[in-house]
Amino acid sequence: MRRALIAVELLIALVVTSTALAAYQYAPPRQWSPGASAGSTYSSNWLANYFMTWGSGTDKTVTFIKNTTYGWHNTKRGGSDYLETYAPFEGAFKAHCVAHSWFTGSCNVR
Amino acid sequence: MTPIRRVAAVGVAVILAGLLAGAVIGSRLDDGSDLAAAIEEAPLVRVAGIAPEDGLPGRGVYAQTTRTGHICVWEAPTATSRQRGGGCNTANDPLNGEPLSFTLSYDGGPAVADVRTATLFGLAAADVARASVLMSDGTERDIRLRRASVSGTAFLAFGYRIRKSDLRKGIGPTAVIARDASGAEVGRQPTGIGG
Repeated sequence: MRRALIAVELLIALVVTSTALAAYQYAPPRQWSPGASAGSTYSSNWLANYFMTWGSGTDKTVTFIKNTTYGWHNTKRGGSDYLETYAPFEGAFKAHCVAHSWFTGSCNVR
Repeated sequence: MTPIRRVAAVGVAVILAGLLAGAVIGSRLDDGSDLAAAIEEAPLVRVAGIAPEDGLPGRGVYAQTTRTGHICVWEAPTATSRQRGGGCNTANDPLNGEPLSFTLSYDGGPAVADVRTATLFGLAAADVARASVLMSDGTERDIRLRRASVSGTAFLAFGYRIRKSDLRKGIGPTAVIARDASGAEVGRQPTGIGG
């Protein structure tokens, strides 16, 4: 019984760990309108921030905002279905995404 | 098995089933994670460049075809760099139905007056003869177009750096204009910044 419990605990740990390593969806799929935005928590471990959208007219922005200056870094704006940027090297940043038109989509950071 | 152990085992099994079900449901939602994974696998091919200027290093413009059926265009120092940003469209509509598709990349902001560096990069249809950036002072700056083949389709690739001297004066890029061989405007896409 003890071995079985240990095996189950290991499996849970693996699932939780793999989930943590995968992308974190800070804005789940929804309808967006011009000016709508969302942001993740601040972290110094983010690698990339992406906005996935469906439909046409998908003007949008992805960026990283520094926790001290609130300045925008490595900002990308465009109408591609998928728009991605990378995190700056030093400091804590939050992933941030902004819609500039009507569409359906989600924002994710990893 | 004691009743306590039985309850604990059932509880663990329920939690595990929930986690697995969540993972399965999550994997079926098209949140871009498949594309994000595919981007990590496919090689990047250089199609244009942004020359060093104003004390800033040069950057490459790279195209990528993924197993998910997308064409991506990136700006990065090298083909393997993690300092990569850009966008992807489906291969059957790589320009989103327009004569050209581009990404505006900038640092600083969000107000234009606070933007320190800015570049534009992307792809244009092969029949576009000329492209230019319309600046907020009304002037136009020609964009150099380079022939590129992506997934067997001919495109024109480009990368363009907005001059620091313009940004310092508060002059930003307002739109990218595509023209045909006669000089007629065939497409105009706003950048969303620059006034």
